[in-house]
Amino acid sequence: MVYVDEIDIDQEGIAEMMLDENAIAQVARPGTSLKLPGTSQGGGPSPAVRPVTQSGRPVTGFVRPSTQSGRPGTMEQAIRTPRTAHTARPITSASGRYVRLGTASMLTNPEGPFINLSRLNLAKYAQKPKLAKALFEYIFHHENDVKNALDLAALATEHAQYKDWWWKVQIGKCYYRLGLYREAEKQFKSALKQQDMVDTVLYLAKVYFRLDQPLTALHLFKQGLDKFPGEVTLLCGIARIYEEMNNISLAAEYYREVLKQDNTHVEAIACIGSNHFYSDQPEIALRFYRRLLQMGVYNCQLFNNLGLCCFFAQQYDMTLTSLERALSLAENEEEAADVWYNLGHVAVGIGDLNLAYQCFKLTLANNNDHAEAYNNLAVLEIRRGHVEQARALLQTASSLAPHMYEPHFNFAALSDQVGDLQRSYIAAQKSKEAFPGHVDTQQLIKQLKQHFAML
Amino acid sequence: MPEGKSLFREVLPKQGQLSVEDVATMVLCKPKLLPLKSVTLEKLEKMQRAAQETIRQQEVAQREQQQQSQQ
Repeated sequence: MVYVDEIDIDQEGIAEMMLDENAIAQVARPGTSLKLPGTSQGGGPSPAVRPVTQSGRPVTGFVRPSTQSGRPGTMEQAIRTPRTAHTARPITSASGRYVRLGTASMLTNPEGPFINLSRLNLAKYAQKPKLAKALFEYIFHHENDVKNALDLAALATEHAQYKDWWWKVQIGKCYYRLGLYREAEKQFKSALKQQDMVDTVLYLAKVYFRLDQPLTALHLFKQGLDKFPGEVTLLCGIARIYEEMNNISLAAEYYREVLKQDNTHVEAIACIGSNHFYSDQPEIALRFYRRLLQMGVYNCQLFNNLGLCCFFAQQYDMTLTSLERALSLAENEEEAADVWYNLGHVAVGIGDLNLAYQCFKLTLANNNDHAEAYNNLAVLEIRRGHVEQARALLQTASSLAPHMYEPHFNFAALSDQVGDLQRSYIAAQKSKEAFPGHVDTQQLIKQLKQHFAML
Repeated sequence: MPEGKSLFREVLPKQGQLSVEDVATMVLCKPKLLPLKSVTLEKLEKMQRAAQETIRQQEVAQREQQQQSQQ
């Protein structure tokens, strides 16, 4: 039997995301929305050093069900599998994991369900508070039948004369699953009035997150911290919001705060570690990842990160062994592809371009949609003088990942070299869109404009 | 190494114009640290894999039954 944390579980389907009417402001002011990644208030790293995800946010050190990919901007992006997690996004959350897992539990019970919900007399069970609570949890978590669960909760809270905060939280949970966020908010708030609970604060923050009101959620967390000083989940929630809003320095500060309370918090250690790595301090990042290893985390991702940190911190003896271990621990082809990709970087770093070429080829053999590998392979092809192949690879890379500036810029520079100024200009514009601050792109555009003016 | 010094002497142009041509180099994508997965996510993926495995087994069993009935 597997228990899953209800607070953490959260997956938006394509339909919810694209047809989202819950956000209050469709054109939000800078710094008040999670939908506009470009509105960082400073502290965000530049894409020149830290890779970005599909939605334009820097990659994080930790993935959870709700942060698997951020919010894509267009339908096309939404359908495409996100970079950090390779499970396809469901069409709606009604067809998502909850339901698939529900059917799975049916499959494992050949004699049929344990309780036949449609034949239950909910009104009768609502009279018995202790039984009702257990029954509710069974219906909600095991059967995934939110409507029946809501019916039971409504009857039970009526029976308790609206004095039991627990039922209010459960009703809120049901409303949240049904997508009725405003109603859920009301229930959670009313429950909080009766009884201060960390869980309720976290559920309410989840609602605000869905309503795209990160500042309200932050405020709520801080209020929660007044009542529960030093509560790790609240601190962690604040850090996550800052990270989503691209304010990495504040996020790191709160993750540090988390570590002061709980020095075995994997998420905080991983996020601070990746932060150090991308701010040019791989040796400090190495210490954080080594700490995770000491704590017993033993998987492909950790060894990959250890290998990379070792390489960039110039501890060459550990690099290849770590990456080899990562390869042997890879659970699926996508993970193996990422490790090969990083091995390719190590090969570029030591100047063995043939090895690098083979590594990137192996990346593509494992994962045919690896845009970064296409781009790097193209750069190697240009060095070998194979312009046409490089061009094709760059086009593939830029169509796979329009959010990255590298393939656009490389394509622009390549086209400029062979004299195809029109294509160069178009690609340079795309590169500028993806990374406005890139100096080389700006120079290229300036140069091209001069060319066009002379014609 | 006094002899070595006389052999190789650096050339520093003091007169005339110094021109530097700035060639834009191609950009490599950056190395990617892989994000660790949360316990919940790992569990969910494990459950999903198990569910898919059961479904696959059932489908295989069904197909075998159909084949047998056709024969």
